[in-house]
Amino acid sequence: MLIGFDLLDRQILDRDGEPVGKVDDVELAVDGNGTPYVAALLIGQQALGDRIGGVLGRWLAGTARRLAPAPTPGPIRIPYDLVAEVTSSVNLSVSRDLLPEPPLESWLRDHLINRIPGADNAG
Amino acid sequence: MKRVLAIALGVLTAIGGFVDIGDIVANAESGARFGLSHAWVPLVGVIGICAYAEMSGRVSAVSGRPVFDLVRERLGPRVALANLAGSLLVTVLTLGAEIGGVGLALQLATSVGYLLWVPVVGVVLWVVLWRAKFSLLENLFGLTGLALVVFVIAFLHLHSDTGQLWRQATHPGPPVGEDWGTYWFFAVALFASAMTPYEVFFFSSGGVEERWSSKDLLTSRVNVFVGFPLGGLLAFALMATAATVFHPLQMSVDSLSQVALPAAVAFGKLGLAAAILGFFAATFGAAMETGLSSAYTVAQYFGWAWGKFRRPNGAARFHTVLMVSILVGVAVLMTTIDPIQLTEYTLVFSAVALPLTYLPILVVANDSGYLGRRVNGRLANGFGLLYLVIVLAAAIAAIPLMIVTRMGGG
Repeated sequence: MLIGFDLLDRQILDRDGEPVGKVDDVELAVDGNGTPYVAALLIGQQALGDRIGGVLGRWLAGTARRLAPAPTPGPIRIPYDLVAEVTSSVNLSVSRDLLPEPPLESWLRDHLINRIPGADNAG
Repeated sequence: MKRVLAIALGVLTAIGGFVDIGDIVANAESGARFGLSHAWVPLVGVIGICAYAEMSGRVSAVSGRPVFDLVRERLGPRVALANLAGSLLVTVLTLGAEIGGVGLALQLATSVGYLLWVPVVGVVLWVVLWRAKFSLLENLFGLTGLALVVFVIAFLHLHSDTGQLWRQATHPGPPVGEDWGTYWFFAVALFASAMTPYEVFFFSSGGVEERWSSKDLLTSRVNVFVGFPLGGLLAFALMATAATVFHPLQMSVDSLSQVALPAAVAFGKLGLAAAILGFFAATFGAAMETGLSSAYTVAQYFGWAWGKFRRPNGAARFHTVLMVSILVGVAVLMTTIDPIQLTEYTLVFSAVALPLTYLPILVVANDSGYLGRRVNGRLANGFGLLYLVIVLAAAIAAIPLMIVTRMGGG
């Protein structure tokens, strides 16, 4: 598997096929024999902004960092052990309820969407 | 039997849903100024959108990935971000143009100025996308859009000089009083109106939302290969009636009421009513599609939860983008820019953005990692490559033609 071609920028889906995010970046680690392996998938505009770079990338990462909750300011990190299968999407073996929620989603839901009547009904 | 009905409904919806403000304006303007000498362009455009919509429908059905996922996976985050910015600009401006079109249709029906209708349309549009059963409305507006058939009947009824029209259609080129620059400018605009990128964003995202699988390939193909050409026929009827009524008088068309005139000439008030109803349904349906497409592209680029079948608070970021897009669309119109002129600009910008949308589709449609044995055959690749060249030529020519001809003014 090529990280750049088969993993980066793919859609991540949870056990039930619900979208979790994109593989915005990966975290590499080195095992005892000195072989690097993918330790975790990084999700969110922080990771993406750092990868894009430049003024726009810094702005993207900066705004995302400001929204991130205080104790865990980094991007959302999904240990690679949770990946069940990589097809046209990256499928996890857990439900997304067990993963941290993206801060922008929580913020917009609490400050905007939930204040509008009918936010609970599917169209 | 139920399946047959579902397919029939899909086709009817595709016919009505194919036509939007861009098609209406581009076809009527070109018919009035150039007769039928652009007749080949809608044909070329419809074949192109069929080829690429079929590919994107197949990719969605087999792999479950909508078009903008592919854009980012294949072009990488930077180029895809530039692509997103371009597509979003075009789609939101198109949304503004569609809202303006709805306003103009309502102005024709009520004599209340369109600018007063624009905020109302914006609010209704948002409420519809926030709350209503989407599939129901999609079918309703698609079917009502079929009222545009009045232009096909009007064409047959108007005793047009078929010999003359045939001569124009078989001798492409500018008529007396026009030059090649304006001829090609309108050709690019017409081509872009048939192949607007939001159509594939919407089509592929809809397929993913309805959880199409390989079993639904037939449905997808029938919708594309029957619905789109018949929809293109409705758009072409606008060109043919304009060529019949306005071209011999050397009149140009620059308002929606003039576009409706041939129907009124043929059938009086009833014809006019059908035309207005058709304009209203077609533009409102397209406003829903462009609004959703704006939010689809952003959500799919970033990997957010998206979709009209989700509760809004389960897709807060998606619904926020949707809301902002509608607001921006309304705001653009509130600058009192002429909606018809706005439409012309959106067509030029669409033409520029076309290759960025269609290239990744063609690449992925050949990737067996996504499609297994359903990858493109020779025919699909032949058309795909041919159209990539055409789309690229249109994209390169669009802006220079716009400047040289001063928006087709000559």
